[in-house]
Amino acid sequence: MARDVLRFTGVGGQGVLLAGEIFASAKINMGGYGVKTATYTSQVRGGPTVVDIQLDDEEIWYPFAIDGQIDFMLSVADVSYQLFKSGVKEGGTIVVDPYLVHPTEEDRKKWNIVEIPIITIAKEEVGLVLTQSVVALAIANTYLDLIPEDVLIDTMLSKVPQKFHEANKKAYELGKKYALEAIEKSKATA
Amino acid sequence: MAGGDKVVINERGNREIVMIGNHLAAQAAVDCGCKFFGGYPITPSSEVMEYISDALPAVGGTCIQMEDEIAGVAVATGAAMSGVRAMTATSGPGISLKAENLGLAQMAEVPLVVVNVMRGGPSTGLPTRVAQGDINQAKNPSHGDYKSIALCAGTLAECYTETVRAFNLADRFMQPVFVLLDATLGLMHAKAEIPSLEEVQKNIVPRKKFEGDPKDYKPYGVAQDEPAVLNPMFQGYRYHFTGLHHDANGFPTEEIETCRKLIDRLFRKVEEHKDEIESNEEFMIDDADILLIGYGSASLSIKEAVMRLREQGIKAGMFRPITIWPSPEDRMYELGQKFDKVMVVELNQGQYLEEVQRSMGRRDIEKLTKTNGRPFSPQDIIDKVKEVF
Repeated sequence: MARDVLRFTGVGGQGVLLAGEIFASAKINMGGYGVKTATYTSQVRGGPTVVDIQLDDEEIWYPFAIDGQIDFMLSVADVSYQLFKSGVKEGGTIVVDPYLVHPTEEDRKKWNIVEIPIITIAKEEVGLVLTQSVVALAIANTYLDLIPEDVLIDTMLSKVPQKFHEANKKAYELGKKYALEAIEKSKATA
Repeated sequence: MAGGDKVVINERGNREIVMIGNHLAAQAAVDCGCKFFGGYPITPSSEVMEYISDALPAVGGTCIQMEDEIAGVAVATGAAMSGVRAMTATSGPGISLKAENLGLAQMAEVPLVVVNVMRGGPSTGLPTRVAQGDINQAKNPSHGDYKSIALCAGTLAECYTETVRAFNLADRFMQPVFVLLDATLGLMHAKAEIPSLEEVQKNIVPRKKFEGDPKDYKPYGVAQDEPAVLNPMFQGYRYHFTGLHHDANGFPTEEIETCRKLIDRLFRKVEEHKDEIESNEEFMIDDADILLIGYGSASLSIKEAVMRLREQGIKAGMFRPITIWPSPEDRMYELGQKFDKVMVVELNQGQYLEEVQRSMGRRDIEKLTKTNGRPFSPQDIIDKVKEVF
């Protein structure tokens, strides 16, 4: 299997780190190799944050994603989107929250830009903004089909407090539903 | 493990755990009997203290956040003087503040583990970014003459195993021992394979203890290549701690020969037992034409670069000192005789390059350095190798 390279970006405090941890741990639980790195600025709250996730069946040494090799990016903050989009390879998929991230027309030609209101889903449909990380996780996995869903959900539940299990399961289902709808929509327009 | 992390025992009897490097260093301390942590949080080391503040009290130990870095190392040194294993953790700016107390611990021969999750500088630099800026600092954080021991983890697993080794070396040589990590290793989240708890505990070598009549006890009156023998406090063996030159009982003295022998011994206890301290990794160097030297997280980039250079028919290999100080000078001398093409790769302006030049007795060594807070990508290294060789 070739290496899967994902990047989640946002601003400090949004919780983008957790989705990366879940991906890496789930891959390891399956006997593979997964690495998550996070880079942030001194401005912890509100500063641009980037999480790189690499999954492989073979050992990974260098833990960061290499610009130009990223298959999939998800972004919930414009500042981070603008800073890190150039790392995504041409034709790659970038999922953005349309209320917070504003891709240019040129971006739309270069990459497959998908708009899903991640924060709104978490805040209004799940009712818990913290679950946005799991909405994002579900979207990424639905697009890329990286980890069997049951393994990913089990790993996710092992990392969130018991009292939030139901909310996070709901967040996963919603993220998956929106992603499937977006995939259908792009097929219809193609 | 604290935080509910899942541990898998593999077929080799080792533990497999998914964790960040800073947490692994903290868990190592707990596993090998550390009973006291004193510190003050600083990026990118804070997760060491975060983790140990839960994990240490859970096994009957003490973790205390002090008012600043100076107080953090002071209480840790005090705890170590009393006879328990103790640790502090910080980053380069914290070491600057702790330097005076580290000098005291060198002089009074107090075993202490100091985890330094390095960043760049001078001053506060780039707090959240990766750098290996404290290589020179680890050699001589304080004024005066002494011989540092500094271990540098280059993998996640080594964040654990080198911390364990640091505790054992601190008790063996009775002095502070540095564990150098960096932001990449300290914060990366992946699988580490570490020894079983039984294996770690089996290999703990406690400090030497004087068992004779207290009247005959001379803690600093030891062989010229051996460390002081400092018994735990409150057990009837009385002695004196000081940063001044001191005699066999620890009391200040200006006696000429005693003073000469004291500092000579601080050097010789390390220099004459380097074989107990040295540790290196040699990666694909047997058939190599090009030798890359690096340590810490930079070695992850180097390994990936070595593999990719070999795919292109360029035979590179890597030498990685794990014990940075004292340096593996003899092995580096041999490698300097064997390889024409040598390049040092480090996330600073060339701090270890000078040690490589000195050890090899050569100045024609290439370097690839970086001080903008970003890691080397494997391509950076490949490009440089192709440019200079």
